[in-house]
Amino acid sequence: MSAMPRQLAWRLFKHEAKRGELSIILFAIILSVASVLSLSLFSERLQGALTDRSAEFIAADRQLSARTPIDPEWVMSAQTFNLATAQQTSTRSMAFANDELALVDLRAVSGDYPLKGTIKLAPELFATGVETTQIPALGEAWIDSRLFQLLGVSLGDSIELGEAQFTITKILSEIPDGGFSVFNADPMVLINLADIDATRVTGPGSRVNYKVYFTGSESDLDDYFDVLSPQLDRQVHRWLSVQDDTSPIGESVARAEQFFLLASLLAIILAAVAIGVAAQRYAQRHFDPVAIMKTLGASTSTIRKVYLYQIGFIALLGIVIGAIVGFVLQQLVVSALAGTVEVSLQIWYWRPLLIAIFTGSVCALLFCLYPLLGLFSIPPLRVLRRDIASSFTSRGGQYLTAGGAILLLMWVYSQNLKISLILFVSGLILVGLLLASTLGLIVLGRILGSGRMGAWQLAWARIKRRSLDNSVQLISFALTIMLLLVVLVMRNDIVQQWRDQLPQGTANYFLTNVTEEQRPSLIQHFSDNGIETDGLFPVSRGRFVKINDEILRHDITKEKEDTTNETRRGMGREANLTWDTQLQMGNEVIAGKWHGDWSLENSDLPPGVYPVSIEERVGERMRIGMGDKLTFNIGSEIVTVEVTSIRTVNWQTMQPNFFFVLHPMAMEAFRASYITSFYLPPERKPELTRLMAPFASVTMFDVDARINQVRSIIEQVSAAIEFILILVLVAGSLVLVAQVQASMDERQRELAILRTLGAKGSMIRASVIYEFLIIGSVAGLMAALANEVSLYLLQTQIFQMQSSLHIEYWLIAPLTGAVVVGLLGATSCWRLLSMNTQVLLSKML
Amino acid sequence: MIKTENLIKTVSTSEGELQILQPTNFSVEEGQSIAIVGSSGSGKSTLLGLLAGLDTASSGEIWLDGAPLHALDEEARAQLRGEKVGFIFQSFMLVPSLTALENIMLPAEITGLSNPKIRALEVLKQVGVAHRAGHYPNQLSGGEQQRVAIARAFITQPKILFADEPTGNLDAKNSDNVESLLFELNKQSNTTLVLVTHDPELALKCDRQLSMNAGVLEEVTV
Ligand SMILES: Nc1ncnc2c1ncn2[C@@H]1O[C@H](COP(=O)(O)OP(=O)(O)OP(=O)(O)O)[C@@H](O)[C@H]1O
Ligand SMILES: [Mg+2]
Repeated sequence: MSAMPRQLAWRLFKHEAKRGELSIILFAIILSVASVLSLSLFSERLQGALTDRSAEFIAADRQLSARTPIDPEWVMSAQTFNLATAQQTSTRSMAFANDELALVDLRAVSGDYPLKGTIKLAPELFATGVETTQIPALGEAWIDSRLFQLLGVSLGDSIELGEAQFTITKILSEIPDGGFSVFNADPMVLINLADIDATRVTGPGSRVNYKVYFTGSESDLDDYFDVLSPQLDRQVHRWLSVQDDTSPIGESVARAEQFFLLASLLAIILAAVAIGVAAQRYAQRHFDPVAIMKTLGASTSTIRKVYLYQIGFIALLGIVIGAIVGFVLQQLVVSALAGTVEVSLQIWYWRPLLIAIFTGSVCALLFCLYPLLGLFSIPPLRVLRRDIASSFTSRGGQYLTAGGAILLLMWVYSQNLKISLILFVSGLILVGLLLASTLGLIVLGRILGSGRMGAWQLAWARIKRRSLDNSVQLISFALTIMLLLVVLVMRNDIVQQWRDQLPQGTANYFLTNVTEEQRPSLIQHFSDNGIETDGLFPVSRGRFVKINDEILRHDITKEKEDTTNETRRGMGREANLTWDTQLQMGNEVIAGKWHGDWSLENSDLPPGVYPVSIEERVGERMRIGMGDKLTFNIGSEIVTVEVTSIRTVNWQTMQPNFFFVLHPMAMEAFRASYITSFYLPPERKPELTRLMAPFASVTMFDVDARINQVRSIIEQVSAAIEFILILVLVAGSLVLVAQVQASMDERQRELAILRTLGAKGSMIRASVIYEFLIIGSVAGLMAALANEVSLYLLQTQIFQMQSSLHIEYWLIAPLTGAVVVGLLGATSCWRLLSMNTQVLLSKML
Repeated sequence: MIKTENLIKTVSTSEGELQILQPTNFSVEEGQSIAIVGSSGSGKSTLLGLLAGLDTASSGEIWLDGAPLHALDEEARAQLRGEKVGFIFQSFMLVPSLTALENIMLPAEITGLSNPKIRALEVLKQVGVAHRAGHYPNQLSGGEQQRVAIARAFITQPKILFADEPTGNLDAKNSDNVESLLFELNKQSNTTLVLVTHDPELALKCDRQLSMNAGVLEEVTV
């Protein structure tokens, strides 16, 4: 007796699977598992590769930096956690050679440095760097091309750093964590860590930065940090991981990760919708068998077991096939993209599989739950009165569990409640809109559908009659289209913003320390050589003296400074000031009025106080707002300025950006130096030395290598995003097919009857196509609207991007919706109509 | 075997309460065959549904082989149906995804009879469609489907068999076949037979005839 339900379930399952009756529900589960597995496996592998890539920017997986020497015990204990370590001590110091003096960025590194990325050496001054696995030997110094110019030295010469003598043996091109700042960047000198003590530059009073680098498995790193973190002093120590990277690359990677997450979430929702649709259809098809079994004496618990077993079999089969399909799919894509997209070589991760299995089971269970509950409660009387459906008709409850299940899945998967809620809420808004519009449609249908019974009237009559079923269908079509739109538009916007960030011809060299006198001849010289400079910005270094009446004291010891400045975090002693009446490109005033747009005479600023425009984030960090007065010491003069506007700056662009922009009047008395940037095509690189020859005192920064690095990462991520877009599109289209087929199923009976009554095939077909055209276009329009809402939320709340309207989709979405859904409807209708009526009727059994 | 007392069924419609079955009192002896006739919509299926315990009466009592059907809940009624009752319907009501043989095995399995497959093959042979055992319902003709349905109804050797227009969907020849099969099995296993029919000839073959007229059941004397 107890084995009966299982046997019966198995028998039903076997036969139905053989006869293709389970194909849609099985397919939906396979789809959900396969897409979740392939997407998350792919993104896991891609992220592995990208994280490795970005790890190069901190030269390790983790970095501990400190202002005081780091306890050697900590480094030792890291090794017991199976972590590899390396060290760097850096400071600004004077270098002396050839009777010339220069301030340098001195880096002393241990033998294992860098743990990620490589040191690059230039074969000639300013030439493209070549990787090396070595570090300077004792007594050797590798120095930046610029320093050769500044000091007028050449290879083999000696250089004095602090109190020690070194031999210059190599031209240093770049180190992985060399930083990206154009300002304050002194030419770099690399020496061996064992030599640092001899230079005596790390004595008290000097600003020294001590770093320890760590690499190892994520879990070992986390374990180590758990042990380490209680010992860290937040004032002194900073623990850095790749994710903390705020460089353009770091942000691109973070954004790409969010996109993958989003795309996978949408894939889950799509699959869930497909399963829901299929489960509903499955349950309806089993109304009769359940009524029969009950009539024959089956108890409710027997029925329950039979169907739970069946769902179990289906889910199991779906998960197994889905996992295989997903893995193969992902592997195919990886090999197809080989060469373009670098992925981690580790081909298997457990997390994606677990997520996929979890998704498959939760979908199968929760989305089948309500249809099944309905199924269980089918009264046996249905065998006599065919119109009796389930007495269990809590549609509200059904939507609640379905919605809850989706939210749960999204949350579990993303571990990010915010992104899940945003998607979910915009989904709810869409559903609300749709319900309202369906009602509108029905009213409209009453007007449009009156008159003689043609195909058009028939279509409207159907939509009208089955308003609730139709609204459910509409909602699922619209949801699908919306999700596809979100992914599509998101991808376009992200890739576009990345491209905008580094357009062709982005400046790859920066010049600083251009004097007032050099300015005209430099512009002339460059344009004679066919090179355009991106404008020269005046710069002056100013030292903060006061903010309003609060006097800032810098000249005391560091420890004291730390405590007095606690409330104004991120406060440097000095700031780079520029002045202009023109607002720089990419800047936007968000508070106050730009000082170039009004005249100083008519302002109510006190005499001797000039306007300043500050950057938003620095204002927040330093707690400066509109109307605050800042006092700077420039040269030996005191200048007081008042904040009259706050700007946002696009930090993603590779152009000089400034926190503080003053009015030119404030700076009239000062000598300025200028900064500019220009683009030099790679093939003209050899001309560089000749080009710069007349301006020996001008400092040049070569950021070409950096830009290429950023660009290649962006290219990679874009290609990966392309793949994910395609995958989601395929998933979405499949869901649409499933939906059309399920709804075609419901029409089968009606078609058969119409057919039997002698309705012409062409008329039936036309009416079905019209119906799907109407549903498709309305769903498309609704999707376009809901798309705007969710994109706005996503872009402003999660992706921190500029959000804009996407009017074009308001037209594209209804059109493609109508065409695609209409076409799908037409094909499955054609399939139905090509069967003869007899078959059609017997299929209804 | 069957006995009703003041059986009443009312349903609520948009126009208020509607009494579709007037107080009904009648009884059927063991092994008897009775026919319920009457015009469409008169309440025949309603009565059948009540007698078989598929539906609950608004008031009144039904006794089925000594069991008070009116006092049982759905689970208990299901068990009673499984043990004592067989059904045949106008639209056959076979499970589409089970083969003919498996459809027949179904009640035996549900009620936990031993060797359901052997029993099923046996009755399948009796109804003359043994060669169709592995076919699905939609691969069978109407007559064949109804024979399978009859086989399914008899596999548990029920004490009472309810049939709602068993020949309604069949042509004359198939009807005759099914009818004679039905009565044959009825005689063989001494089953009480309650059948609803529009066919006067079929009604005449029964021991008794009752006529339903707008919810009122009357004995017809021929
Ligand atoms: N739940 C219900 N709600 C409303 N009306 C009902 C309900 N059940 C039955 N009826 C009505 O009661 C009447 C009797 O129905 P029943 O199915 O018993 O008729 P019948 O005699 O079997 O007819 P036919 O010969 O056409 O099968 C019909 O008018 C039917 O519409
Ligand atoms: Mg009837």
